[in-house]
Amino acid sequence: MTVSNHPNPSRTWAETLSSPLRTAFQHPWVEGIVRLGAVEDTLRAVHPMLSITEARARVVRIVDETPDTKTFVLQPNALWQGRRSARAGQFVQLRLEIDGRRVERIYSLSSRPGARLISITVKRQAGGLVSPFLHERVKVGDVLTLSQPDGDFVLPDPLPEKILLLSAGSGITPVMAMLRDLQARGYPGDVVFLHVCRNPQALIFAQALRTIEEEFAELSLLVHFDDTDGPFTAERLQYAVPDLAERSTWMCGPAGFMDVVHRHWNSYAMAAPLHSERFVAIPAVPTTAPGTPVTVLLATSGKQFLTQGVDPLLVQAEKAGLAPKHGCRIGICRSCQCTKRSGTVENLQTGEISDTPNEAIRLCVSVARSDLLLDL
Amino acid sequence: MSFAQPTHLTRDQIDAFEREVNAIRDSVMTTLGQRDVDHIRRMIRICRASEIGGRALLHFGIGPLSWVAGVMALANAKILDNMEIGHNVMHGQYDWTGDPALNSQKFEWDIACDAEQWRHSHNVTHHTFTNILGRDRDLGYSLLRMTDAQRWKPRHWLQPLANLMLALGFQYGVGSHDLEIGKYTHGAMPKPEFKARLDRFLSKTGKQWFKDYLLFPALALWSAPRVLAGNFAANLIRNLWTYVIIFCGHFTDGVAIYREEDTRNETRGDWYLRQLSGSSNLTGGRFFHIMSGHLSHQIEHHLFPDMPAHRYPEVAPKIQALCEKYGLFYNTGGLFKQYLSVMKRILTHTLPPRRTAPAPV
Repeated sequence: MTVSNHPNPSRTWAETLSSPLRTAFQHPWVEGIVRLGAVEDTLRAVHPMLSITEARARVVRIVDETPDTKTFVLQPNALWQGRRSARAGQFVQLRLEIDGRRVERIYSLSSRPGARLISITVKRQAGGLVSPFLHERVKVGDVLTLSQPDGDFVLPDPLPEKILLLSAGSGITPVMAMLRDLQARGYPGDVVFLHVCRNPQALIFAQALRTIEEEFAELSLLVHFDDTDGPFTAERLQYAVPDLAERSTWMCGPAGFMDVVHRHWNSYAMAAPLHSERFVAIPAVPTTAPGTPVTVLLATSGKQFLTQGVDPLLVQAEKAGLAPKHGCRIGICRSCQCTKRSGTVENLQTGEISDTPNEAIRLCVSVARSDLLLDL
Repeated sequence: MSFAQPTHLTRDQIDAFEREVNAIRDSVMTTLGQRDVDHIRRMIRICRASEIGGRALLHFGIGPLSWVAGVMALANAKILDNMEIGHNVMHGQYDWTGDPALNSQKFEWDIACDAEQWRHSHNVTHHTFTNILGRDRDLGYSLLRMTDAQRWKPRHWLQPLANLMLALGFQYGVGSHDLEIGKYTHGAMPKPEFKARLDRFLSKTGKQWFKDYLLFPALALWSAPRVLAGNFAANLIRNLWTYVIIFCGHFTDGVAIYREEDTRNETRGDWYLRQLSGSSNLTGGRFFHIMSGHLSHQIEHHLFPDMPAHRYPEVAPKIQALCEKYGLFYNTGGLFKQYLSVMKRILTHTLPPRRTAPAPV
């Protein structure tokens, strides 16, 4: 089943207003007089939500869901088109500046599509960068920058007759949006919501789930607590949901949990479709030993090449018959700098490893340590 | 001025020097954060406020005093934009922030020089081949004879005049630098390549003229002459100031010049040594350093071109101590003293070399 037919939303008034302004300010003759950055900074000084380029949202409420999970209720500005276009299960990319560095993270929307206020629910990752920042530093009234909603983990139109929403831990967020959507749309079919977590204290959305259960007659709500019910297995899933094979399923949770369910699905060759969303924001690309051949994909030109040996990426690209822009070839001038969208590279001069997505790298002093996607 | 003597340091000492310089670099680069971003954004804010204030004074002010104040404010904005902001941002000093407004490869500045051409002539050519005769095109800007190693030609009689013209129109000197007119007239550059470079230069200059000499004067209606003259004066002040600072960076007394054959197979340590001996600093306070875009720390800048420049004063004492330890010359002095030595050098090399007995071969 394909779910990629996003509805094409008509442009909002804010987009209609800001788009020609954006084009005008980006014109080289105008740019030489007033920079778009100056316009944006001025607008931000007037009001932090005011922008002609960025969708932003103000934090209006922060809810403690569990001791390590918080829900941030956000009021988006008019440039955020998700109120019309967002579908249950989709995510937004949040952009923050932490200690001077821009960082981006993906969070599923847990709110009902079309709601005036949107929400994301964030579990604090020990040793993480963004989630502790959100938990400790972000206050009510702060303004965050966010992307338009995106993602293919969505409910189809028309809806199937039997649905299973299956989640574990903080993977509950996108399926919670789906559940809210089903309720709001008056879904007449049969929906099972099965969530797995350690114990009642770790249950995210406990209050909201109880309320929905009372109001939404078609819902069977099942919660599995690992501490008291034992580890969650395929057998337990089959036992809890006997008609599993007939249920179109949407699943989100930790990798181990999802692997168990996927294996079960495959070994019984279940007919009903299983959709899943990995909520690990950064797909871990395994780092290879220096000199291992890896594939380098160039996003803009659509070209690709296979590396050979331990030469830097600039030399590798040239060996492959490409001619990327470059200058000094010894890591000084930055002419060969480009954005690495994903993968791991090592800086030959400093030994620094860059494995975060969307980092600027210099081709002449970087060697590939995994498959790469470059903005070239 | 003759070519740099081979260093007195042994291979092992050069390697040790390299490691120590790297350690100084790391001590700053591992602590980049909020305060560096705050600094550059503050500079950008001051620059914008100064430009708005300056233009407002020129447009709406009455009397000569407000004109002078307007010129000073606008010149201040242009100097900040070119020196502390543009030059440093385009070196990639703030690329680690991920902020597109501080992206080295996308930045454009308020000067007749096209940013992309600057990134080539300055970041690629000058910073890589610093003070290598025949490779570093900043050595006399293909206009002035700065060393005995450059062949004297009769046109060098006019060198003091050429120097004055370059100072007054420095933005056009910098802007046309990457055209490599000499290379083209000698047939070493194909015409389409030269044409493309020329178009880029003219397009940027055209935009600057449109802004400063057409649009803003026109907007001032009857004050047009006042605004036109004010904009011209502000550009002139910026030209003179940037010229003085930049000429003190590599043309002072005691700066070493290199032969290309001596710089082949350089290690990072060799490269550091060449950057150190090929640059000279200016002493001054915090305000002076900012107004010079921290090019008053030319030595530190050439060692660490992508370190946020406002950190140079922090590493300068460590570099100076290192120089003492290895017995290396750390070239620094006041602006007046340093510029005087530059002028002396320009005038000395105006004259044809004295005929001396041919050196024994």
